Amino acid sequence: MTRERDFDELVGREGDDAERERLRRIHDLLVTAGPPPELPPELEAGPNLAMTLGRPPRQGRRRLALLAAAAISVGMVFLGGYIVGNRSDGSGPPAGRTIQLQGTSAASGAFASLLVEHGDTAGNWPMRLNVSGLSALPEGSYYAVYLVRNGKPWKPCGWFVVAGVHSGTTVTLNAPYELQSGDTWVVTKQQAGTSGPGETVLRPTT
Amino acid sequence: MELALSSPPLHAVPESGEAAPTEATDAELLALVAERDRAAFEVLYDRYVRSVFGLALRRLGDRGRAEDAVQEAFTAIWRSAASYRPERGAAGAWLYTVARNAVVDRFRTAGPVAAEVPDLASTEPGPAEQAEAAWTAWRVHRALEELPRRERDVVELAYWSGLSQSEVAAYLGLPLGTVKTRTRSGLARLADLLEGELQ
Repeated sequence: MTRERDFDELVGREGDDAERERLRRIHDLLVTAGPPPELPPELEAGPNLAMTLGRPPRQGRRRLALLAAAAISVGMVFLGGYIVGNRSDGSGPPAGRTIQLQGTSAASGAFASLLVEHGDTAGNWPMRLNVSGLSALPEGSYYAVYLVRNGKPWKPCGWFVVAGVHSGTTVTLNAPYELQSGDTWVVTKQQAGTSGPGETVLRPTT
Repeated sequence: MELALSSPPLHAVPESGEAAPTEATDAELLALVAERDRAAFEVLYDRYVRSVFGLALRRLGDRGRAEDAVQEAFTAIWRSAASYRPERGAAGAWLYTVARNAVVDRFRTAGPVAAEVPDLASTEPGPAEQAEAAWTAWRVHRALEELPRRERDVVELAYWSGLSQSEVAAYLGLPLGTVKTRTRSGLARLADLLEGELQ
């Protein structure tokens, strides 16, 4: 296929010569640039705290690291005492937590709330996801809810599909894992025939 | 139980819950980032993360190392935003320089690479051509982020999915004419955004 036929197929034959030449240059730039990369979920999920806290200049890192380690050690002693003294039933993370999720650039109009219900003695944490604004996916593709730990999608907690952007849905999911303070969730788009976390379409607002 | 409600937020979002200034220019966002405005940083991140990742992938050729370079680039942007001077040039060019430096640093810290002596003269583009191609890709990918979603989807599918226009139309559930119209309007919008590239 020639360049001319490519261009004509894409934009048609309408428009005057000057405008067509202008568009053709952009066509060439797009061809030269190639596709933008698909972001890994870790980057799609947004900037993380390490970025905004920043890394100190290299010369001072070791000293700061030692000071931080000392401060953390002292803090952990107090924190441990606080947790032991305050938790009511001896379990780790809480139930009844609702996480608000908002669409990423891949699903800018989407939003959701994820209610983490009380866990059972076996270690199941049922969850209820109410989601709106996601697009219907081609056959074989689906959305997945991933538990995020240490800033990265870690384990799947369930899958669902939607009818379209104008129809919300509510699904029941489960996190059969030992949850930790700081855990959160994202929704990813899973393409047919792929494995691992796909592109993140919903991420926590806080 | 309330423990997890008080756990630290995963993402760098404004604690006040203020709306992110999505309409602000890059220069305005950098000025806010210099004042440690996390919402502005998040908007800047969304605008540039694909361009930075593309730049890193192009230079490093490895997704894992490119991810690290992106982290370092945005850390550098957060840390040095106050050094940006609008009178010295466009914010996009400043961001490109900071990102490129982070990528180059990552490239250097990867250690020496065993060199092979080629039998024939390389047909690969030289450093100047590679630098120009990287800058072009940066601007094109950045400009794509500015397109309305419906145009961007069509342009990306039309150019890089391997689908014909008819297949794109079927995939999106749109008439073929609408796909062509959106492709054309997307290209026209890109031409407006990339006017400097056309000089």
